[in-house]
Amino acid sequence: MIPDVSQHGSAETTEWKPVENTPVIMFDRVSKSYGRINAMNSVSLGISGGVTGILGMNGAGKSTLFKLMMGKIKPSSGAIRLFGTDPWKNPAPYSRVGFVPEHEKMYDWMTAFDFVTTFARLHGMTREEASKEATRVLSFVSLGDVMHKRIGQFSKGMRQRVKIAHALVNDPELIILDEPLQGCDPLARTTIMNVIKELGAMGRTVLVSSHILHEIERITEQIVILHRGRILALGNSHAIREMLDQHPHKIELECDEPRKLARSMLAIDEVTGISFSSPTKLLIETQHLGEVHKKLPSTIMESGSTVTAIDNPDDDLQSILMYLTGGAL
Amino acid sequence: MSSRMDTIWAKLDRKSTAIAEFTMRQYRTRISTWVVMIASALALFLMLLFYIEAMNTEIEAIDNDGDSFDTDGDGYPDGQERLEGTNPNSAESFPDWVEPDPPEKWINEDDIDWEILGDGENYVGNDDDGDCTNLDTSSQRDSNDNGRECDILVTVDALNSTITVDADANVDEDPDEEKYGKEAGHRSFILGIGKFGIVYLLGIFLPLFLATGLIREEMSEGTIHYMLAKPIARGELLLYRMLGYIGITWPFIISICVLLCLITGFTGPGDGFFRWSDIGVWMSIAWATMLVSLVYGTIFCGFGIIWKNGVILAIIFAAWELGMAFVAIFSGGDSSIRYMSVIGWGMIIVDAGVAISWPDNWQLIEIGLWGGGHGEENWLGEMAYVALPAAEPLAAFSGSPNLGVSNWLSFLISTLVLVFQGAMFWFIGQSIFKGKEVD
Repeated sequence: MIPDVSQHGSAETTEWKPVENTPVIMFDRVSKSYGRINAMNSVSLGISGGVTGILGMNGAGKSTLFKLMMGKIKPSSGAIRLFGTDPWKNPAPYSRVGFVPEHEKMYDWMTAFDFVTTFARLHGMTREEASKEATRVLSFVSLGDVMHKRIGQFSKGMRQRVKIAHALVNDPELIILDEPLQGCDPLARTTIMNVIKELGAMGRTVLVSSHILHEIERITEQIVILHRGRILALGNSHAIREMLDQHPHKIELECDEPRKLARSMLAIDEVTGISFSSPTKLLIETQHLGEVHKKLPSTIMESGSTVTAIDNPDDDLQSILMYLTGGAL
Repeated sequence: MSSRMDTIWAKLDRKSTAIAEFTMRQYRTRISTWVVMIASALALFLMLLFYIEAMNTEIEAIDNDGDSFDTDGDGYPDGQERLEGTNPNSAESFPDWVEPDPPEKWINEDDIDWEILGDGENYVGNDDDGDCTNLDTSSQRDSNDNGRECDILVTVDALNSTITVDADANVDEDPDEEKYGKEAGHRSFILGIGKFGIVYLLGIFLPLFLATGLIREEMSEGTIHYMLAKPIARGELLLYRMLGYIGITWPFIISICVLLCLITGFTGPGDGFFRWSDIGVWMSIAWATMLVSLVYGTIFCGFGIIWKNGVILAIIFAAWELGMAFVAIFSGGDSSIRYMSVIGWGMIIVDAGVAISWPDNWQLIEIGLWGGGHGEENWLGEMAYVALPAAEPLAAFSGSPNLGVSNWLSFLISTLVLVFQGAMFWFIGQSIFKGKEVD
């Protein structure tokens, strides 16, 4: 027998058992700094059940959060518990976790099936169990028909699904997906989103990180907004959005005759300001985004001008952050 | 107890074989693996060409005692005249009752024909050409004063592997260079290419290219995240990756040694159709290389974990080991600084294997260095003998285990030391790996 390398002191004599009645993930005032840079600043968090979206700009600390959870890096201070156990010291709880890393690099020379079975065996499965489970999860992510092809031949979206499949092979209670939608084509996005929703419906705890608000809103309402290593907001996405609705918004219209359109727009009471961002673009400012959007189609019709695009340039994470931080990004 | 052990073993077996198999497949898909293996095999077989050429080139026969020369010009070589009792220095005196011998007959005519020597005093030697027995006085015939005429007194000190040769004049004084040189050349080639080319160079180059990135490449490419997200300790991961490394390198080392053993065994000198006694030497070379490459692999893999440019540390370490390899090979087992290295212990395995398989090796060296007893007195008044061909390289590449215990025990001890070194470096490596943050 090899020594118990994961623990300090003597070998454990009792089998590892999950601590009951604890949150799946628990962060208690966790900080992580690299030299003078604080990647995580006193984050406290407890998550159990359902799909949770972790939102944040690049460098907000989403990946740091996941790496801390998965015991890949050690917190500078504070305590982390994964199923009641410190993940830095003990890899045992990973048997109940599926982790989809953000890294694009995979073993291109392997077939999807080999990839999944190899990592399934690290959960202690036999070859037979592993191949049975691999077939199951690869069909679950709709790759059943191509699973014996080499990963190197796969598109971005397919690779992402292989990664998800490999994380699901042990039937985990907690699934962590780091930017699973990044770089995927629309079809793959839909498939992956459905898979995530389904997992949530199955009662699993799912964590999904993204820097795009719309994506997360299509998957879940429960969101955590990270910014500069701190939790900025935590809760239902509708509630956060409602707060935003009281905040000045911009609508950008691309049309052939901006001046003509501007005159009609002024007729809408809720419009507080108009400017011309370029010869073909009209920028409207309002406090009541919803109301303006309702009146837009008829107003455009009345003006008789041709509108080629309507955009809400600030209806994204950045504007939420702008609002939540009081403009100090 | 047993069911629990079974469960642990079954789980260990699943994880270990999964990673080891994965690692081996990963090696096979990399071009670098094949380049390293093909290049090292080519280099070794290139050396083999020199060997084959040497084995097929006749070594020039030297007339060590000069008796093939016809000093007086009467047509009879000096040796023949001495044998027949005529004066080699007088043209009038020649044995007209026999035909003159061709000069070649008096080259290599008095070979070293010693029986296997035992510890203590041995009375050996045979005056094949009669140039000792024909001497006039008894004191001339017994110049070593041991009471026997025309013999050689060889005193063997097996404990210290030394031989003192005290020969009567003109006994075994014209040895067969071809016979001796081929045997000694064959053995020096095996030891030279075995100790330096295989145990050191192959033993250090395979891990340098194949083990340094075992964990590091996974870390820099980010693929390590797949493995570290599984319920497996990092120390275990390191161990099973090393198993995969062994699974690739050990069969390669064994095949190289088997091939070289077959080729040199069939082309080498000897009466039999195959040199069976070489097999033990090749086995000890293969075993030493396997262990040495395992220890180096563990060290280099650890260097890779510590630092992304771990290969630089590995090269510095390889330089130290190169120095140690020279010390271990050319000190002949007399230096104790070799204990402070990996390669030193590998060389002890080979030396023990040689002592077991070729028990006559050190005697062969001493005989070759004596070489018939020709030479000049140097300024210290000692005889500096002219060695037979290939005796000096054989002496240089041969060594003694010198652990003060039997050869088998030396073999066992050095094996255990290397296994212990491997385990120790694995332990250090996994401690570093465990405390390493993987971004």
